[in-house]
Amino acid sequence: MTEPTTGMDPNIRLGASNVTRRFGSVVANDGVDFKAERGTVHAIVGGNGAGKSTLMRILQGMDRPDEGFVLVDGVPTVFLGPADAFDRGIGMVHQEFMLVPGLTLLENLVLAKEPTDKLGRIDHKAALEAAHHLEKLAGVTLDWHVLEQDAPVHVRQIVEILRLLYRGADVLILDEPTAVLAPAQVNEVIALLGKLRSEGRTIIFISHKLDEVLAVADRITVMRNGRAIGSLERQQASKARLAEMMIGEVVARLELREQKAGAEVLSIEHLDVAGRRQVKLKDFSLAIRSGEIVGIAGVAGNGQDEITGAVTGLIEAESGRIRIGGVDITDASLSVRRAAGLSYLSPDRAAEGLCLQASITDNAIAGHHRASRFCAAGVTRLGAINRHIENLLDRFAVKRGSSALPASSLSGGNQQKVAVARELDGDPKALIACQPTRGVDIRGIAFIHQCLLDYRDRGGAVLLISEELDELLELADRIVVIYGGEVTGEVGRGASDVAEIGRMMLGGKVAA
Amino acid sequence: MSDAVIIPAKTGLPLNAIASALVPLVLALVVAAVVLALAGYNPFEVYRLLAVESFGSSRRIAATLSSTTPLILTGLATAIAFRAGAFNVGVEGCIFVGGLAAAYVGFTYAGLPGIVLIVMGLAASVIVGALWMLVPGLLKARLDVDEVVTTLMLNFIAISLTAYLVNGPLLAPGSANSATPMVATAARLPRLMPPSTLNIGFIIAVLLLALYWLWGNRTALGFETRLAGLNARFATAQGIDVPMLIIKMMLLSGAIGGLAGGIHALGTVGRFVSGFSPGYGFTGIAVALLGRGTAPGMFLAALLFGALATSGATIQLFSDVPIEIVDILQGMIMIFAVARFGWIFARRRRVA
Repeated sequence: MTEPTTGMDPNIRLGASNVTRRFGSVVANDGVDFKAERGTVHAIVGGNGAGKSTLMRILQGMDRPDEGFVLVDGVPTVFLGPADAFDRGIGMVHQEFMLVPGLTLLENLVLAKEPTDKLGRIDHKAALEAAHHLEKLAGVTLDWHVLEQDAPVHVRQIVEILRLLYRGADVLILDEPTAVLAPAQVNEVIALLGKLRSEGRTIIFISHKLDEVLAVADRITVMRNGRAIGSLERQQASKARLAEMMIGEVVARLELREQKAGAEVLSIEHLDVAGRRQVKLKDFSLAIRSGEIVGIAGVAGNGQDEITGAVTGLIEAESGRIRIGGVDITDASLSVRRAAGLSYLSPDRAAEGLCLQASITDNAIAGHHRASRFCAAGVTRLGAINRHIENLLDRFAVKRGSSALPASSLSGGNQQKVAVARELDGDPKALIACQPTRGVDIRGIAFIHQCLLDYRDRGGAVLLISEELDELLELADRIVVIYGGEVTGEVGRGASDVAEIGRMMLGGKVAA
Repeated sequence: MSDAVIIPAKTGLPLNAIASALVPLVLALVVAAVVLALAGYNPFEVYRLLAVESFGSSRRIAATLSSTTPLILTGLATAIAFRAGAFNVGVEGCIFVGGLAAAYVGFTYAGLPGIVLIVMGLAASVIVGALWMLVPGLLKARLDVDEVVTTLMLNFIAISLTAYLVNGPLLAPGSANSATPMVATAARLPRLMPPSTLNIGFIIAVLLLALYWLWGNRTALGFETRLAGLNARFATAQGIDVPMLIIKMMLLSGAIGGLAGGIHALGTVGRFVSGFSPGYGFTGIAVALLGRGTAPGMFLAALLFGALATSGATIQLFSDVPIEIVDILQGMIMIFAVARFGWIFARRRRVA
């Protein structure tokens, strides 16, 4: 199937030769060949469960192949572990950040390799110098004295990358570096990758987003079902060709029916929320009617978290009123809000949207588990729950072994489908959907989008908060743009002037 | 450790779970065998003696089950709090305050009929134990104060406070020991196999263990507690009041810890003395960890530690093996049980 590696090509900085990795009966990598040349950006694309992450773990020494081997500078190598790989200049930024809360960004940068003075204390001046040197190299400016937990997500992402450089890596493996970033920051990271390539670093990155891949990669390898389907030079690649290779079949088009908006369901009036960071939500008002999807567009950290927090009750509002179906829920607990018909799809699937260690069934029933058909006098009715959940998961096409397995056994896209299924179960009055397709592959995105549209057609009201402009344009009947905690504009469906929305996202108010 | 190749966990076959729960025991036996051999004893002979002394006859079995009783309860108390995500190490203190409360009822209201006296005594131990955990529960739930620190410190207070009381206000008249008067005979828990101290406390403990299983697997509250313990943010987002759950489970944990003391006072000792518990609360942590918080697992773990305690007490009589060897063996099992726990904890943090 694949040609064996012949000879040793020192130009291949990092590669894989005929790598196979099995987990039980699942073949995660099946004879994968892969070569990243020195000083290039090599992208790996593929759907959820295509085997990208497994390959990356092997290339970084976190896992070992059952067959085949890793190539370092063209030489077959067996890593003893991630530290061994790092000693050879290979570092990885994981999807889940590995920074330490409670330390500043600077301390995180130099962690485990701190510059010290004669007495063994951390030399902050030298650390800061190193940080500034890296800033110049990467073409970014950061506030190094902010605590990790107070820094926006994209800044943490950049620190993760700089941290590898600081510790001497010249091969950077990035697992979906832009998954959680807003368009403006995506460009920054893309530029950063280009800059690092020109400095002679080798970059391997995984992405779902073909636009980014085409913008920066020199070579693109497509994976599907654990196999490397093929590698293309940038010039040979196009979005259509890559999508075809990734999916192997045509994605169904979304079915968009005529909107029939009804009565007002969710109303937010003059909401003020003091943010956890500098941003403060000021005098925010919005009404969403039944059968309507209203999108919030904005660069991450401009008030989205505050809107979500106030509506769900996870953050206290300073002033203003929030009503759902006429019921004032401004000061209600989250369970009361849920009882009033509010549903909440968390943007943070791994930490809040799901309980990964609990079973798939537990994840799907949570929040509904006290409904009278599932629970009598405090005792759960397991039979009724299992029947209902099997049916629900089938309807939402969750690909699973057994529903009794932990949710962590599912691929990212199927995990998200479980969360979506749970939140739409029982047709709530209103859904707050935050980043509903983050880290989900093309087919999964289409499916989830159709679920949201179907819910709207059944009379649901959706507040859609997304950093994917395409998603907002595709789904939302109206898009409200926010910047710095204030509304800077609103556009209706069919507005195709993306540049104008982008301008509003950066603070430019629309002329009246 | 940092260089270890991380292999994704296989999803739980029960056989696997049993095997991995046995690992600490086997490792401890092997290491202790080396220690025994170095000290000049035949480890197989010692282990055979231990087995005979704990399970060799119906009398020995009764003694073992009697030592198992408080450990089932303290293991249960630890596991309940742990389910909710609170690591309560204050069960030891609950035994002391609960034991004193039950003994107080037992010798003060000596005129009452037995059944009334027993119910009142055990109820007192439950209430006092629960109240003892109220403050750490509130602090943890409302202010996020680390419960390990508060409950550990409360142990010292409980031990010293009860020691003061039995040396002063509650000291038995005419006694030089730090002990209360004996409880009324009617207040003693009925024995199951006289002359063994095995009493209905064992049945209560096993019934509670069964209820715990039902609660954890068949009730909405048990479900919510499990979710809150695994992922508090997730539970909160699903509308579960996590702080309230933590308070409830800390109170329940304290109640069961207090009951362990009450049963020990009315069933085994017959009064409260200073130095009342030989660390049942701490062994309970090992029971909960070794039994992985499951009802059958904790029963077996409590039985194991109960057997060690019983056989350790008598093995000196029949061989020249010092009792310290049993302590070493017990310590080994605890270390390996806790080490395994630490490994799970580290993995969990990596996932989160």
